[in-house]
Amino acid sequence: MHYVIIGNGVAGISAAFQIRQRERAARITVVSGESDYFFSRTALMYAYLDRMNLRDLEPYERTVYDRQRIERVRGWVRDLDAGRRAIRLDDGREIGYGRLLLAVGSVPHRLPWPGLESAREGVVHFVSLQDLAACERWTPSTRRAVVVGGGLIGVELVECLVHHGVEVDFLVRESWYWPMALAREEGDLIAEHLRGHGVRLHLDHEVESVVASAGGRIAAVRTSQGREFPCEMLGICIGVRPAVDWLAAVRTPPALGRGIRVDSSFRTSLPDVWAAGDCAEFPLPDGGAKVEQIWYAAKRQGELAGRAMLGDRVAYQPPLFYNSAKFFDVEYTTVGEVTRLPGDAVSFFHRFPGRAASLRLIEQDGRVTGFNMLGSRWDHTWFERWIHERRSMDEVMEHLHLAQFDVEFGRVRLDEARAAYRAFRGAARRQERA
Amino acid sequence: MTRSGARHWLLHDVKNRGVTAWLLGGLFTAFYLALYFTDWLTLVARGIGLDNKWTLYGALYTLAVTAGGAYVIRKYRHNRYQVVRTLVVIFVQATFAFSIPHLLKFFQQPEYYFSYFWPLKMDYLTPSYIFSLPLPFVLYSFLGAVLLAPLLAVLFGKRWYCSWVCGCGGLANTFGEPWRHLSDRSSLAWRIEKVTIHTVLGVSLLLTALLFVSWGAGKSHPELARFTAGFQSFYALVVSSLLAGVVGVGLYPIGGTRIWCRFFCPMAALLGLVQKFGRYRIRVKENMCISCGLCSKYCEMGIDVRSYAQANQSFTRASCVGCGLCAEVCPRGVLRLENARAVDPQEAMLVQIQGAPAARPLI
Ligand SMILES: Cc1cc2nc3c(=O)[nH]c(=O)nc-3n(C[C@H](O)[C@H](O)[C@H](O)COP(=O)(O)OP(=O)(O)OC[C@H]3O[C@@H](n4cnc5c(N)ncnc54)[C@H](O)[C@@H]3O)c2cc1C
Ligand code: SF4
Repeated sequence: MHYVIIGNGVAGISAAFQIRQRERAARITVVSGESDYFFSRTALMYAYLDRMNLRDLEPYERTVYDRQRIERVRGWVRDLDAGRRAIRLDDGREIGYGRLLLAVGSVPHRLPWPGLESAREGVVHFVSLQDLAACERWTPSTRRAVVVGGGLIGVELVECLVHHGVEVDFLVRESWYWPMALAREEGDLIAEHLRGHGVRLHLDHEVESVVASAGGRIAAVRTSQGREFPCEMLGICIGVRPAVDWLAAVRTPPALGRGIRVDSSFRTSLPDVWAAGDCAEFPLPDGGAKVEQIWYAAKRQGELAGRAMLGDRVAYQPPLFYNSAKFFDVEYTTVGEVTRLPGDAVSFFHRFPGRAASLRLIEQDGRVTGFNMLGSRWDHTWFERWIHERRSMDEVMEHLHLAQFDVEFGRVRLDEARAAYRAFRGAARRQERA
Repeated sequence: MTRSGARHWLLHDVKNRGVTAWLLGGLFTAFYLALYFTDWLTLVARGIGLDNKWTLYGALYTLAVTAGGAYVIRKYRHNRYQVVRTLVVIFVQATFAFSIPHLLKFFQQPEYYFSYFWPLKMDYLTPSYIFSLPLPFVLYSFLGAVLLAPLLAVLFGKRWYCSWVCGCGGLANTFGEPWRHLSDRSSLAWRIEKVTIHTVLGVSLLLTALLFVSWGAGKSHPELARFTAGFQSFYALVVSSLLAGVVGVGLYPIGGTRIWCRFFCPMAALLGLVQKFGRYRIRVKENMCISCGLCSKYCEMGIDVRSYAQANQSFTRASCVGCGLCAEVCPRGVLRLENARAVDPQEAMLVQIQGAPAARPLI
């Protein structure tokens, strides 16, 4: 059986290893247009920061692909013919498959801002190796940069630019930093931290148009607030979307929504074609659909899709959400639901005095449902467990130290947080009585 | 990408095997060759009023550890483990490895280094030398080598020595900080390391055995005594001078800071074997690794930490000196150094909360 995988990201490679583990005899081919070897997209910023070189981003020694007999093909796939069971590359090569996995990941969002098409130079994204190369090409000739988009990738790009001595205007549409995931207090904490690093953070600023110089280099960004920010580089980090545009134009397109539509066993609408990772869209029981665009999900999905392709019965259910990140020096761990809460949810927030650290616990109907932690380390598996076990916030606060994961000698002190929690509960109870 | 500007070019070059790194490596090597095989440094020492080149060397070494340590403490000031550990390293170097031996000498006592043990310091279990010392020194040497060092390694891992006390490790973790990422991470290097370090350990054990035998029976077997003496000076030349000094420190800017500790040190080998059966481990937080590779890059022992982290495997590697830098650089807080008991205390607490059946043992 010939297994062909399009995309050598974490989803595609996890599937390949999974298949190899179980089927010693199978032929496995991985195709990618971006790179010869699997690398960590999550670590792009560390290459830009000169903390690692590109080779360091590769999670496996290169010899592993030969040892595991995983054939690597470099090239962009342009056509998919499910009738003939073949894909075609941009250079005309054809590869036949027995079973095919689409693990094509995401591409950056872009909006049709007036003026953008004439800015041919200095406009960057931060998603692919090619984006990194572009960033590195423009950085030396940049004194001021504008980064648009208050999410995780935006902050990473900002940190890199600051490191290289570039003055950064960071434009965020919302009225605090990253309301999708952070409540106002946490957003303020991060904003303070970014400003401490010299970032000029502008909230409530939406891009209206961009201005290019006569030579085609980006020259300024104008916002809805009527302000103009001169710059030599513009980073557009307003999110990513599944890389499915090319699939609409192939001979036999799979069913597409926001991403490639799959069932809970990663099957697409085409026979013997599966999809996993950033590009896959799952139906939800409530009729909606979900695309999970994080590393952990892509890895998990890739492994499971590999098993599904081997014939295992797989019924994937997106697990409880968790994620982690780092905003300059502030680490962040989150589990469950912490924003967009119903009105009767209880939300306890505590900021550790004297440091950029905070914790937030959410309780609904007497059970914790979410955690949002900044500036100290936590073992998220405890949070997951407490949520699954339907623990009350009282219980969780009492046992919170179990989940601490700071370095030896360096734990944040929980006594103040617990005192604050008792005061918070006391006030709530008094209010109830009154 | 390197930052622009001459200063940043230089910093990058010297940290990444550029021309300046090779020059510096040559300079360090030349220094060690001069130290071990010539008397130039004695002249320098006399010139500044010190009694011999070894005192000068000790002073320079202490200076390097202190200055490098100050830099490291500043750089990692947000990390209490690094701050505490580095303070201890500086303290041990300044006292046990420098002032105390000189004070002892001043008071007509043997110049004894309480921070060194056999088999790193072969003398301390060499009968002809050690039995010439007063009894407390003899007891400390024996108990330190066969009881204290291994016992602490069982309880805390070999880090108690390699990253908190030892001068070689101390220099690597302070003065050597800019070059820690140069250690070879390939699996080939790991295979070589296992052969070389255990070879040196074997040789050092053999030599110690011979020293005891020839001390007891040398008088009646002069050839044995001669052979042992020859072996001893060969070991001193190759292991203690060439490998520990010239290669170990001379190549900092080229091969990273722990070449000696990783490939050759018999003490590290011994404590590493003990560590495998002890309580120390690096705990990996489940499913949180993003495979970025910073932990592997900054491991001075060339351990591919990422390979364990991305596989959700807590682990204990014999070579791990517990410097804690993997945990420091990890942007997702995945790693933690800890001295685990057979049953993790947190699991035990869980039993309490839940009244659940016995927790599974972790190692
Ligand atoms: C800068 C950055 C930082 C991130 N940090 C984090 C983080 O800290 N934590 C986290 O959870 N997630 C993070 N993410 C998200 C995470 O990287 C992705 O969710 C994950 O990499 C998705 O993996 P994948 O295998 O699905 O797709 P990808 O890694 O995107 O791999 C898809 C591959 O397929 C190739 N491909 C696409 N179309 C074709 C074609 N037609 N022909 C040939 N090849 C094709 C692409 O070039 C690409 O190489 C980050 C993303 C970015 C960009
Ligand atoms: S530094 Fe942390 S996130 Fe990065 S590979 Fe190592 S363990 Fe994983």
